[in-house]
Amino acid sequence: MGAGLYRTRSLARRSHTLRVWSILTSVTVTGLGLAGVVHAKIHAVGVENQYANVIAQIGGKYVQVSAIVSNPNTDPHVFEANPSVAMEVARAQLIVRNGLGYDTWVKKILAAAPNARRQVIVAQQLLGLPENTPNPHLWYKPGTMSKMAAAITAALGKLDPAHVRYFDANVKAFDASLKPWYVAIAGFKAKFGGTPVAVTEPVGDYMLQATGCQIKTPWTLQAAIMNGTDPAPQDVSIQKQLLRRHMVKVFVYNQQVTDPLTASFLHLAEKSHIPVVGVYEIMPTGYSYQRWMLAEVQALRLALTRGISTTVLK
Amino acid sequence: MLNWLAHILHWSFLRSGSVQTALLVAGCAAVVCAVIGVFTILRGYAFAGHALGDVSSAGGSASFLLGISPLAGFLGIAGIAAVSLEFLGVRRAREQDVATGIVLGAGIGLSALFLYLDTTTTNTTGTAVTVMFGSMFTFPASLRLPAMMTAAAALIMMAILYRPLLLSMVDPELATTRGISTRWVGLLHLLTLAAAVALAALSVGAVLASALVIGPAGAAVRISRRPGVAILLAMLLGLTAVWGGIWMAYESYYWFAGRAWPVSFFVVTIIFLSYLTSVPLQYVRRRRIVRAMPMAAHAGG
Repeated sequence: MGAGLYRTRSLARRSHTLRVWSILTSVTVTGLGLAGVVHAKIHAVGVENQYANVIAQIGGKYVQVSAIVSNPNTDPHVFEANPSVAMEVARAQLIVRNGLGYDTWVKKILAAAPNARRQVIVAQQLLGLPENTPNPHLWYKPGTMSKMAAAITAALGKLDPAHVRYFDANVKAFDASLKPWYVAIAGFKAKFGGTPVAVTEPVGDYMLQATGCQIKTPWTLQAAIMNGTDPAPQDVSIQKQLLRRHMVKVFVYNQQVTDPLTASFLHLAEKSHIPVVGVYEIMPTGYSYQRWMLAEVQALRLALTRGISTTVLK
Repeated sequence: MLNWLAHILHWSFLRSGSVQTALLVAGCAAVVCAVIGVFTILRGYAFAGHALGDVSSAGGSASFLLGISPLAGFLGIAGIAAVSLEFLGVRRAREQDVATGIVLGAGIGLSALFLYLDTTTTNTTGTAVTVMFGSMFTFPASLRLPAMMTAAAALIMMAILYRPLLLSMVDPELATTRGISTRWVGLLHLLTLAAAVALAALSVGAVLASALVIGPAGAAVRISRRPGVAILLAMLLGLTAVWGGIWMAYESYYWFAGRAWPVSFFVVTIIFLSYLTSVPLQYVRRRRIVRAMPMAAHAGG
């Protein structure tokens, strides 16, 4: 249901539409005078599209949501904001972002355009994580989005108290729809706990830990690939051995943070017939948050039970 | 003794595929830069060498966009920049710095665009750091052959240019009467310099390329004014710097609990230290000359 309400449009077109919209609204408002109450939608921004998706699922018809980082073919770690994005963020009433250095640019934009009524939800703060938490990919952590949904519901209720009950019903439905994912994680852990896996980058690590997988790739290599710094040859040798000698059962590959080195690992995994599971920084097209997460666990299971690769989620 | 050696050279060092490729490609870069660097300094083109390195960053960043080998990217743009330098009048001393500066700005402007497009349209990560500061340990093995071929081509070209280039430097008029076109010699030298810069940019990054092109050669020229000796010395210093740098970066993994420092830092540090060492050596050499022939030394500076 949420996925249907949630629309992504190109940002350039959006800001244009917004401008036309604001002109139209002002014309209507002056035209109608005080004859009727114009009920405007809450303008919300989910910086990463998975957060935008959850806002849309809870806010439904009373919220207009846009996502800033929504291109699954670029690396969000190096996202650069342009002026139209800055405008979009600055005028939003509700902003949901990840934190942990993943979207620091939003903080700067908000600081430059203070607004006491603006509601800001940061996953890092909500989970009480310190700034030096090494793995920023919090949405892969079971439990994160349920807490975020509760915070989003509270914020929407403050912005639009007339529809608190509507938001409450939606958040209940959202929490219920997370269950299949939790069940899949618990089932995987019970049956395949302790499975050794290799990764390129820590994006899916929280989920892999929840499913009881053992991540064999050295952390320093994961961090180097995530940050785009020089990997140590020692770590590269370890990773190649893991794949070449079948010391891991699955290779978890981040589709959005790639370089010639990760491509060489992918090639080696395919040559050694180690099934590959593709993971993403942000929600791939055609998914809702909960279906995306469930699909990742299912792909992991498929890789183990039948040796099938799901390099790209479709 | 052997134990000690095995300890110093962690056994895995030479067996690691990424180390082998790094040693080979950076070795090629050091040798080519030594030969070309000496001539570049003697001709007074050090700034042009530096500029070509910076400009080549546009090629490196474009290669990620186009999905071609970074070496091809560096070579292409450095080559174009070399030709532009020649035709914008780099040979007239007064205009040399101006023309070089103009080409430098245009090239880096292009890098700014390409790096922006890299981050906003592709899923490549760390492109800017790789292009600007190099990433030797991520070289694919397939880079070995093209790097060796580029180095071989540059060395053959320098072997051909060796005498005409020396003559046109020492005595342009005599060179012209012997039928040497100083324009062609200059252009070919710049193109070969572009090849050296491309190899250096690939190894230590576009911004640091000039350290490898100018550094070892600069130190060598301070120690010996004879081109042949200077080239050999520059090769020795250059190879020490790149191979020593690779080894130190490899070892730094054990110093800093797995957080190895970048290779380029070590390479450039060794180059800088060798240059510092060359300064007192030059002083010693001068004093020897002064003692041997005071008149000539005073006249020649």
